[in-house]
Amino acid sequence: MRAVSIEQMATLLRWAHLPLFVLWVAIVCFVRFYFDAGRLWLAWTVCGLRALAMILSFTTGQNLFFREITGLKHVAIFGGETISIPQGMLNPWYIMGPLSMLALVAFVVDASVTLWRRGTDTGRRAVIFSTSITFFLLAAVGHGVLVNAGLINSPYIVSLSFMPIIIATSYELSCDVLRSAQLAHRLHTSEAELRISEQRMSLAISAAELGLWEWDIIHDEIWSTDNGRALYGIAKTERLIFDRFLDSIYAEDREPVRLAVDKSLAGGGNYEGEYRVMLPDGHIHWLAARGHVEFNHRGLPLRMYGVSIDITRRKQAELDVQKQRNELAHLSRVTMLGQLSCSLAHELNQPLAAILCNAQAALRFLEQDAAALDEVRDILEDIVDDDKRAGEVIQRLRLLLRKDEVQRQPLDMNEVVQEVLKLMRSDLANRNLVVNVGLASELPAVIGDRVLLQQVLLNLIVNGCDAVAGTEIIEHRRLHIHTLWNGDAVQVSVGDQGRGIALDDMGRIFEPFFTTKSHGMGLGLTICRTIINAHNGELWAANNADCGATFYFTIPAYPGENT
Amino acid sequence: MNDSAPTVFIVDDDPSVLKALARLLRSAGLNATTFASPQEFLDNHDQNVPGCLVLDVAMPHINGLELQRALAAQGSELPVIFLTGHGDIPMSVRAIKQGAVDFFTKPVNDNDLIAAIHDAIEKDRIARQAQAKLSELQQRLAMLTPREREVLSHVVSGKLNRQIAAELGTVEKTIKVHRANLKKKLNVQSLAELVKLAERLGIISSLPD
Repeated sequence: MRAVSIEQMATLLRWAHLPLFVLWVAIVCFVRFYFDAGRLWLAWTVCGLRALAMILSFTTGQNLFFREITGLKHVAIFGGETISIPQGMLNPWYIMGPLSMLALVAFVVDASVTLWRRGTDTGRRAVIFSTSITFFLLAAVGHGVLVNAGLINSPYIVSLSFMPIIIATSYELSCDVLRSAQLAHRLHTSEAELRISEQRMSLAISAAELGLWEWDIIHDEIWSTDNGRALYGIAKTERLIFDRFLDSIYAEDREPVRLAVDKSLAGGGNYEGEYRVMLPDGHIHWLAARGHVEFNHRGLPLRMYGVSIDITRRKQAELDVQKQRNELAHLSRVTMLGQLSCSLAHELNQPLAAILCNAQAALRFLEQDAAALDEVRDILEDIVDDDKRAGEVIQRLRLLLRKDEVQRQPLDMNEVVQEVLKLMRSDLANRNLVVNVGLASELPAVIGDRVLLQQVLLNLIVNGCDAVAGTEIIEHRRLHIHTLWNGDAVQVSVGDQGRGIALDDMGRIFEPFFTTKSHGMGLGLTICRTIINAHNGELWAANNADCGATFYFTIPAYPGENT
Repeated sequence: MNDSAPTVFIVDDDPSVLKALARLLRSAGLNATTFASPQEFLDNHDQNVPGCLVLDVAMPHINGLELQRALAAQGSELPVIFLTGHGDIPMSVRAIKQGAVDFFTKPVNDNDLIAAIHDAIEKDRIARQAQAKLSELQQRLAMLTPREREVLSHVVSGKLNRQIAAELGTVEKTIKVHRANLKKKLNVQSLAELVKLAERLGIISSLPD
């Protein structure tokens, strides 16, 4: 443009800072929002400096460049055109222009370094863009400074130096257009693929009889595939909410399921469960479900999705195996008690003998002196005690002979050891055997089935008795039973001083039908190991340093309890 | 000879059975002393106290049969009555072979047990009496001079005074004196009595045929 008077030039130059401000802000916004880069404080500094420069341009001197324009120099350029170049005293605030420019360069360069480090395609584009901006800024502002200082005679040619930005931006834009066209094509293809994959998926889901579900936790709405609804016995049209889902679960399993879901919602994220559902026709099915919870950025659960599958057949097989195992254990227990029947009879006989003696004594006392009531009272008290004792023996026997389901409960292993020793007391006496018992004090509880663990101990003790049966050395007619806490588990050991286990047999003693006894079935230790494994423990044997062998087993401590 | 009252010693490792047995015997007017283990009995038993032993078979450390053997080894002739929870035949055979007077299975009938105890005490009394008599005789035998003993052995083997005198290289009259002396010392009147006494003291069996 061409100013014909000094006033026109001054006004022109003053108003030129408005588009410059807009340009600066535009560049900053572009970098921040398009590239998502650049430091925020630097962005504000750039805009602030440029705004300040604009304000100063309107408030000081004739504009930011000149305090006063003293004259216009007319210069002829090519094509016979003449342009006017202002001349005069520079405004002392003039420095604000280059300062805001340097801040902008710093902002752009910093942003492009950040992007470059991210190492993506954006990084390359950012560098192209920032280089062009930097070049434009240096060229335009540098040129302006030189013109204003009167060092070169040239018009302000901002547009020329702006060209690289336009070229760079349009290059990027055309690249983007091309890319979006490719993306659209790819999207189309993958949509088709997705459809095929969805079809395959639903085929797989229906083949595997899986039920898919998704629970909108905020609105408490559950979406499920038809198959999923069928698994829970819920009609296709019925509105499905969490409580309805819980209702479909077998009453006994409801609470554990609710707790597990709560736990995954509270932050666990993953849900796994096996439970029974009661279908409307009254049938009970076993289902296994797995789910995953999605949280929002504040950690609030939004939705949970997952799959459910019918595992009734597997569960039934498991229960069958468990039942057979129980029956085998029971059989072995009964056999073992049969072997001990003599001493068990003795255990029962002792209190009966005492009762009879006491009763006969009482009759005699009364015959001699009908007023011997104190004596008779003592006798009756003893009779009551002995009767209780006989009752306890029967109770213990009944416990071992019963054929119930496995009942897991917290147990004190010391107590289990003592119960078994009570049961075996007279058998040990008959065999002329002494038992050294070392029970650890403050043993943590274990989770287990009392009867099964008693069975294992009974078996190990009977084996120990058999091992020393042949020995004539009195000191060797001794068993050592110890309990201890090894830091992870409760360990019980039963040691004898017999001949020990031959090296060849060591690996085989736990195999079924392997026995070194003339009367054994060879199942005792096999069953013991099965029982201990079912308790997540271990059973092993080792020969002692001096003589005999020791059997050890461990049972993990009951978590969350230390007494 | 001991004059203390007969006592029934009861050994059983089961305290309640022990107490009940003692009570039963007490109700039958018997003295009873209880021991909770064979070892306790061996440590505290006074052999001079007459009576009998009521013994449980199955006990830890030392069982009843072993205690019976240990007593026999000590020369005790205390009659033993066995009580057992489960009387198996081999065990009772062994017990009787070892000299047990009776063998009962628990729970035991009071009359049977008490009768057996009375029998055993009587047996012990007779045995102790015989033992006392024997030891008295032995004391008398010990009073004989070596020559008198020699004469005694010849007399009880049925030899005549003349024959004995010839064998011992002396005259018949001397033998007659010895014979009168030893009869006096041994407090017997007739030859028949002397032979019976010699038999009891084991002199006859030691003679050559």
